[in-house]
Amino acid sequence: MTWALVVRSLFRHPVRTALVVAGIAVAAALLLDMVMLSGGMERSFSRMLLSRGFQIRLSPKGTLPFDTEAMIPAITPILDDLRADPDVERVGPVLATSLHVRVGDSLLTLVGYGVDPAGQGLYELEAGADLVPGDSTGLLVSEPAAAAAGWQIGDTIRLQGRLDPQSARAEAERVVTVRGVVRFLYDARGQRSVGADFRVMQRLGRFPDADPASMVMVKVRADDRVDSVAARIARTHRTVEVNSVAALVVQFRSRLVYFQQLSLILATISLVVGVLLVGTILTITVSERIGEFAVLRGIGVRRARVVRLVMAEGAVLTAAGAIGGVILGLATARYLDAILTSFPGLPAAISFFVPERTAIAKAAVAVFVAGVAASGYPAWLAARAPIAETLRADAE
Amino acid sequence: MTVVLGQDLTKVYSLNGRQVAALRGVSLTIAAGEYLAITGPSGSGKSTLLQLLGGLDSPTGGRLELMGRRVEGLSDDELTDLRLRQVGFIFQRFHLMSVLTARENVELPLAEAGVGRRERSERAAELLAYVGLADRADHRATQLSGGEMQRVAIARALANRPALILADEPTGELDAATGAQILELFDRLHQDGVTLVVVTHDEHLAARVPRRVHLLDGRIDRDELATAR
Ligand SMILES: Nc1ncnc2c1ncn2[C@@H]1O[C@H](COP(=O)(O)OP(=O)(O)OP(=O)(O)O)[C@@H](O)[C@H]1O
Ligand SMILES: [Mg+2]
Repeated sequence: MTWALVVRSLFRHPVRTALVVAGIAVAAALLLDMVMLSGGMERSFSRMLLSRGFQIRLSPKGTLPFDTEAMIPAITPILDDLRADPDVERVGPVLATSLHVRVGDSLLTLVGYGVDPAGQGLYELEAGADLVPGDSTGLLVSEPAAAAAGWQIGDTIRLQGRLDPQSARAEAERVVTVRGVVRFLYDARGQRSVGADFRVMQRLGRFPDADPASMVMVKVRADDRVDSVAARIARTHRTVEVNSVAALVVQFRSRLVYFQQLSLILATISLVVGVLLVGTILTITVSERIGEFAVLRGIGVRRARVVRLVMAEGAVLTAAGAIGGVILGLATARYLDAILTSFPGLPAAISFFVPERTAIAKAAVAVFVAGVAASGYPAWLAARAPIAETLRADAE
Repeated sequence: MTVVLGQDLTKVYSLNGRQVAALRGVSLTIAAGEYLAITGPSGSGKSTLLQLLGGLDSPTGGRLELMGRRVEGLSDDELTDLRLRQVGFIFQRFHLMSVLTARENVELPLAEAGVGRRERSERAAELLAYVGLADRADHRATQLSGGEMQRVAIARALANRPALILADEPTGELDAATGAQILELFDRLHQDGVTLVVVTHDEHLAARVPRRVHLLDGRIDRDELATAR
């Protein structure tokens, strides 16, 4: 009986009810997006960094991995030392440099990664074959690079190293064969990258420093040994910056503080908008129907029941709005994510909005609780209307 | 048995700081099974008295007992429960819940009183048949004529078998023929032993009621039994 009254009362003004539900849905969608945004980047960042299980990064002193073009000099003794550590399972040096390849009569610029196939944490194989240790003529290519250059697996290519700034001629060249197509985990969308043996890439890069690396990825056997291994590396190798992924996430988080505050403020605003919407519409409805509530009270309906009737209307409105909001929020998050992740220079694997069940539940519950709370005032209005006076006024 | 015992009831409204005395000392006793009409000019306090008798409002002074129970000092919930179980109200403008069907309107006070679903629907069907609306049970209130709405309102007022039925100008919104049907229904209620108090301007109605209380300026001016004439 209560529900019949509640639902039919809402259907008495179907357009109005639909508009309010839509309004709540928009507020809830914004709230959900902001909740996803506030934690999403951090989570997807950490997920990306750990995607191949390497928990430690070595980078040039004073920098973060891939943050600058600086290099770690004299990497071989460091690698040897790391490989000798019984806690370390794999060591993956990475060297990034720019390369060129002639396609028709134009020169295509590529990002070249030097990797050690025995310990790489940089890519996932998508087609063809992986490099094997010691393969000094193999090449791995990213989908965008293959598409831009028109390469097939098995093609032979002449790679050109860094160009001399004066003559615009490459100082080193090498003929390689495409072995496989890979997805480089930290590439931006559409980035044209290739991968080859670490030593090959060192030679193509022709760096003035002997034996450089851009970064080293370290996989520790046991997760609980990560911090002690990182500390030990930092102690023995003073020329490198050593960070665990957890530490990188903390640094990343500190860069995101403003971002999180912003999303928190926007989330709060959307919640307030939802509360105002529900409060306003129910206050209007209750004043329109105040005579009806007085009649209910007059024929013996308790105050508590009247309160429940109005709160139930608020609950139905916000529940419908929250459901709509989750659908709308997920859809807009996907759309916004597509826009944001196509930003140049940003790894394609990073997401701004990560739809997590807890985030969705949090947002939906917050909207629902706020909506029900917002119906408190109109419920009180309905329940405390003086019966005799209201009926008399209603009869006039 | 005494259903209503009112002694020296007064009701003063304050309106913009001015005091309006609507009742100035009304004493009234109504026994079970009585059928009573309250008449009087507009503003004489008829509706005010009816609202006090039904526990819709409380008196400013005097003493009121309903079914032997003092009304003053009851909490809001106790007073609400009294209205639910002991009193049935019939309003000039019917005041049905417009989104509910006739049957649901009658079931409403039953549900509030905690009557089970099955018994509720049986009792509602019975009451709608009693007021001659068995075939309209599933119509929304808005789909009924004025006379039909008032009959649903009467069925609703009877739902919890109250000790007292109060009606404020029940035929005021109806044409003569429809009003007459309602009056016939009231006669039947009276024959069936229901205690009935009707406020009316309607001379026809007043004429057929056994006891007539005439109010004038907030006081009982005449209280006469038809048989005493
Ligand atoms: N809430 C109120 N505030 C102020 N004055 C009121 C209020 N209710 C009633 N009155 C006044 O009390 C007096 C009695 O009113 P009441 O409605 O009881 O008269 P009535 O006999 O029912 O009149 P009618 O036949 O026109 O319905 C009137 O003067 C009215 O203006
Ligand atoms: Mg009146």
